[in-house]
Amino acid sequence: MRDFPLLSLILFLPFMGVFLVWLGRNLRWTRRLALATVAVDLLLALLLLAGFEPAQTGFQFVEEGAWIPTLNIHYRVGVDGISILFIPLSMLLFAGVILASWTAVQVLPQLYYAFLLLLLGSTLGIFLALDTLLFYLFWELTLLPLYFLISLWGIGPNRRYAAVKYVLLMLVGGVPLLFAFLLLAFHHANPAAGSVGLVFDLNELLRVPLSPSQQTSVFFLLLLGFAVKAPVVPFHTWLPVVAMEGPAAVVALVTGLKLGAYGLLRFAIPLAPVAAQTFHWLLAGLGVVGIFYGALAALSQTNLRRMLAFSSLNHVGLVILGIAAFNLQGVQGALLQLLNFTLTAGGLFLLTGLLHHRIGSTDVIHLGGVFRTMPLLTAFFFLLGLASLGIPGTSGFPAEHLLLIGALQKHTGSGLAALAGMVLGAAYFLTFYRRAFLGPVRNPVVAETLDLTRHELALMMVFSILVFLVGFAPRLVLEMIGPATEHWVGQLVPP
Amino acid sequence: MIPLLTLALLFPLVAAMLIRLPRLPDRWALALAQGLALIELGLTVRVYQRYQPEGPALAESLPFIPFHPEADGLTVLFLLLTALITVLALLHYRILSVAGHRADDHPTRFLATVLALEAVMQGLWLTRNLLWFVVLSGLEWWLVSALLKCAPSPGKALAIRRYRQFLGVSWLLLASGTLLLGWSYAGNHGGRWSFDLADLMLARVDGRLHSLLFFLLFYGFAIRVPLFPLHGWLPVVAEQGALTVAPVFLLGLKAGVYGLLRFVLPLLPETVLSWHRYVVAFAVIGIFYSALLALLQSNLRRLLAYAVVSHSSVLIVGLFSLGQAAFQSAVMLSVNFGLAITGLFFMSDLVLRRTGTLILADLGGLFDRLRVIALAFLVAGLSIIGMPGTPGFDAVHLMLEASIVRFGGLLTIVAAIGNVAAAGFLLRAFQKAFLAPVTAEHRPDVERATPREWLLAVLMIVLLLGVGFYSEPWINLTARTLEGMSGHYPHP
Repeated sequence: MRDFPLLSLILFLPFMGVFLVWLGRNLRWTRRLALATVAVDLLLALLLLAGFEPAQTGFQFVEEGAWIPTLNIHYRVGVDGISILFIPLSMLLFAGVILASWTAVQVLPQLYYAFLLLLLGSTLGIFLALDTLLFYLFWELTLLPLYFLISLWGIGPNRRYAAVKYVLLMLVGGVPLLFAFLLLAFHHANPAAGSVGLVFDLNELLRVPLSPSQQTSVFFLLLLGFAVKAPVVPFHTWLPVVAMEGPAAVVALVTGLKLGAYGLLRFAIPLAPVAAQTFHWLLAGLGVVGIFYGALAALSQTNLRRMLAFSSLNHVGLVILGIAAFNLQGVQGALLQLLNFTLTAGGLFLLTGLLHHRIGSTDVIHLGGVFRTMPLLTAFFFLLGLASLGIPGTSGFPAEHLLLIGALQKHTGSGLAALAGMVLGAAYFLTFYRRAFLGPVRNPVVAETLDLTRHELALMMVFSILVFLVGFAPRLVLEMIGPATEHWVGQLVPP
Repeated sequence: MIPLLTLALLFPLVAAMLIRLPRLPDRWALALAQGLALIELGLTVRVYQRYQPEGPALAESLPFIPFHPEADGLTVLFLLLTALITVLALLHYRILSVAGHRADDHPTRFLATVLALEAVMQGLWLTRNLLWFVVLSGLEWWLVSALLKCAPSPGKALAIRRYRQFLGVSWLLLASGTLLLGWSYAGNHGGRWSFDLADLMLARVDGRLHSLLFFLLFYGFAIRVPLFPLHGWLPVVAEQGALTVAPVFLLGLKAGVYGLLRFVLPLLPETVLSWHRYVVAFAVIGIFYSALLALLQSNLRRLLAYAVVSHSSVLIVGLFSLGQAAFQSAVMLSVNFGLAITGLFFMSDLVLRRTGTLILADLGGLFDRLRVIALAFLVAGLSIIGMPGTPGFDAVHLMLEASIVRFGGLLTIVAAIGNVAAAGFLLRAFQKAFLAPVTAEHRPDVERATPREWLLAVLMIVLLLGVGFYSEPWINLTARTLEGMSGHYPHP
């Protein structure tokens, strides 16, 4: 069982799917093939989950192969407690995106689903890669499908501008990342061996810590690179634009999978632990700014998609604040919160996409009274919204709870600020919810729309079950991530 | 043993004569040329198979003339690339000529010129003799001018004039540098002249001549590269070029970079070390200057010309970072750029055939009808900016590594950001040409890609992605050769 290349299969199945969808001669078969690919991949991911041993702290299911041996770049993949749950959750979210695009995408369906699967493959690669350059490959590979998905199937009039803005900002963000990886490789290299001695192996990089001064530059470069993607507040300008112009289902991926925050957790802090702890105030500050800026900006939005984009800033702020605590509760809370947001932020945006597909707008003046014709959609929206706020009984609660404990221990002031920010979060969500979903019907289109279809209902049931499951039995998840996060925190303490 | 190198050198020449001699019907001549170009590609593949990266260079000698073809890893790589681009160029020509876009009234003359040019380029890579290099460069100058004459475009007179002026000066500089080197050798060796690289490297050149020699040779090659601010000929030639075959041969095959790497860097290491900072300063300015100009262009071909200047500057930064990784990156970048820019020019030609214009404002909306062509265009563009997964990536990150070692972080970051600027204008070009809404109301629906065009586009995509994900053999091929060259440059 251990010799079976399960991770490679999981990773490459979507890439095979990219070619597979072209077999579908028409829309019906294309989307079925795409969904089937994701479903099979999800089954494999569940197998992976079953075979995973949480008690072990290192990377598991590791596979290695020569890729460019001359440059010491290898194909190296593996999972640990931090990354493993992202694999099935990303697939679930992608399945959701395919279902939400089921009837919404009519033009060039093969191309659409091919790009979607390419995006899934590269996203999985980001979570699985254990070689910094392999990671960078997947990191940048996400841009190509997103560029096309936004510019060809976007729902706003300025979608091309949004696509270019996104791609260029991400390329700019990629420069410090690549640079940091090269610096790391140089610092670990054996100077006598020339370029062959450069080290890109994550395990090797983690094993030998850098000197504190080297860590500072590496940390800031990585922070900058990941901050653009996350996005952290001064670098967030692409997100509202993409949320408004991009296809709603695809934006669910951008807001649901907070890859930048994951990058901080996986690379930036473990690779430069001393520098990260020295600048804990910076991280906490960025977190608090994100929480307040996101919440206040969300409060003043009149469009659901923009509101959710700004709430995503709020979420990233929370996660970064949790990470900045550098204690077990904070980090576990941050990780749980990231997983929670994959479900809730992603799910909320999927629902928004369904709403947009039905009504043709998500602006509050075109909404109102949605619950009368779409009670199911309204109910699920409310549930996922509450989960993203961390109401007890939902998956957000244990996450929020741990995160706050962690933050209050380390940065009491910031923790209190986070509490206030959560109240603001409840304010923007509930206000918007009331104006958009409750009240009288003002738009005749709303009065004539249909509620969720069977597919969509099934999808939302899966999301809700997971939300409740984690909410009532957080132990299930904490057991998976516990040892890995303990190990993560343990590595921080300078020897 | 079959003298493979001699064959690879002379076969295109024989092919050119075969095309010219019997008065073949045009269709047959084209098919014959394609077949012969494929055989030449096969020959170069055989050379690649025979060459052992760990072993010595392959060497042969020609009967009757004092030409000694020699092939190390670097040569083999460029031989392959030349043969490959010729095959693609002929396929491209066939697509356009079937569509009624004749290069001129004498297709056989055109085809023979292309094949003769291939022979000359192969000669450039195979020689280790500076005088032969100069002679062959002169032939290349003449042949490319002849190709440019075949262009159907009205403004070609200007293009030919610019090309002849700039490249003529380049040739004169190169020739004078070469004669000076030979003269200095003769002075030290009792009047025996030699232009052989091995001899020249052993000889002590008069110290006072070093800087003069460097500048003669460097400027000679820099015009060809072309390096800012010596790029004035390129936009015009790119805009008016004959079916883009001529630009493809000029830009794709980076003879300037090859010359710098093969002759200048090993011959004058101390001089290079005292001037390399200035060269890199110009290159860095060039990256941004040409990126800015590219953003301002309204014609797709001119835009691509500035893309060439921009990425040539990146390449020069890599090359003059001086070291194993630096040379490796320069070689990989030139191969990558050769392939990628060829792809970009081909695809823009396929667009031109349909729309009759390459003015960006009049294009748009082509993605729906020309998906594969658009994708090939984009993949080639991404390859130029060094997107991971394309051959550009390994090259660019090697270049960054080398540049960090030699010049430190700041300049490297600046160069990397310049690369992002290149992404900006290439994406803009892609958007305007393929995605933007159609503005010209009268434009009829464009024809979908024909099977041959589809083949060309898919070949480009497969080549770029294939080399990108499996770059190991190419790195290996040249590693040994470049190690020898980087021996002249100590690790800083």
